[in-house]
Amino acid sequence: MQPAPVTTAPQQRALDAALELVGQQGVGATSLGLVARHAAISRATLYRAFPGGRDQLFVQLGQREVSAILAAVGTAIDQADDLEAAVAGALHTAAQRVQSHAALRYVLAHEPHLAVPFLGFTEMDRLLRVVRRALAPRLARFLDDGAAEWAAEWVARLFLSTLVNPTAEFDLSDRAVCDRLVQRYVGPAFVTSRLTATTDLVPTV
Amino acid sequence: MTASARRAHDEDEPGDVRSRILGAAVAEAGRTGLGRLRVDEVARRAGVARATVYRHFPGGRDQLAAEAVTWEVARYFTNLVRLLDGVDDLPDRLEQGLLRGRTLLAEHRVFQKVVDTEPERLLPHLSQSAPLVQAAMRDHLRPYLERARLQPGVDAEEAAEWLARNILSFLVATGGWDLDNPGEVRRLVRDNLLAGIVEPGRPGGNGAAM
Repeated sequence: MQPAPVTTAPQQRALDAALELVGQQGVGATSLGLVARHAAISRATLYRAFPGGRDQLFVQLGQREVSAILAAVGTAIDQADDLEAAVAGALHTAAQRVQSHAALRYVLAHEPHLAVPFLGFTEMDRLLRVVRRALAPRLARFLDDGAAEWAAEWVARLFLSTLVNPTAEFDLSDRAVCDRLVQRYVGPAFVTSRLTATTDLVPTV
Repeated sequence: MTASARRAHDEDEPGDVRSRILGAAVAEAGRTGLGRLRVDEVARRAGVARATVYRHFPGGRDQLAAEAVTWEVARYFTNLVRLLDGVDDLPDRLEQGLLRGRTLLAEHRVFQKVVDTEPERLLPHLSQSAPLVQAAMRDHLRPYLERARLQPGVDAEEAAEWLARNILSFLVATGGWDLDNPGEVRRLVRDNLLAGIVEPGRPGGNGAAM
């Protein structure tokens, strides 16, 4: 997956229309004709906007939506005061975004074959790379570079794990769950890579 | 073997026949791919009648493909657990599990072929069995957690689920880690996955290493 390319106005309209249609009826039932009608643009305009046809439209839509989720997650990290809050906020925001994303939810529930390639092996590695690239710079406020990359990847792994296998103990749409998990299992891993040099303030035992 | 003799033989040990069919389906998937799996080819390889395959798998090819993947996943983890025999210290077991688990995958010719050529067919089956695999791994890890020196307040059940989720994630994608490097796996397990779980300081966490 590449970073979403700059979209033109007709592309934007078509993508918005496709997003709505997918939320109602899935990718399989969303033809280009339907997208054109829903976006109130001509088929010729639509084909000019997406010379690669339907495949290009859906690939671009996927990239745009992943970028939007990552942007929201990045904002959550920026608003946090410390590393634990940043990681917990990132997990919680990603879970909430997916939960309120009609198109993504439709695909996960009814067209899982379109989503599962991202849940393992080559495509998952690619997705982890995209997430590292997007989130590591935001986490660099709290951690040195290598640790920030790993923290970003860890967020993605945990999130994907709960997407494949949701359980009540790991319900990331509950902020308290995110806080508890991060404080217990994630925070302690970064004790030595934190940037804020507070060692001299910590009383020695 | 005549058809009737074959049937009589099949019915002697239904579990054995079932495994033979599933094993044949895995081997066939390695040859033709999951998408081109054919019941008659699987039957021939397993040495049973086509009707026998349908008796065990009434759903035909699709059911056969789905169950063959699940069966092979179970076999993979059985093999992995066998390789870990005697590795009873929690951090060691996680490290060795990751290292050997990755090696087993790399050496699995059928898996490598299917994952390279038709991941979109394999992953739906894998993601369907993922909750079961994760629960099995959680239950498997729990006794090792209970024997380890845990940090105050750690819930063994939840920590077992945490570890199972992480290990599964690393088995299906290495991300930024070099999991062929034992030193890196050691750092991943001890300094990261277990950082909030076992007491630091003593090698092995429970003081019983080697």
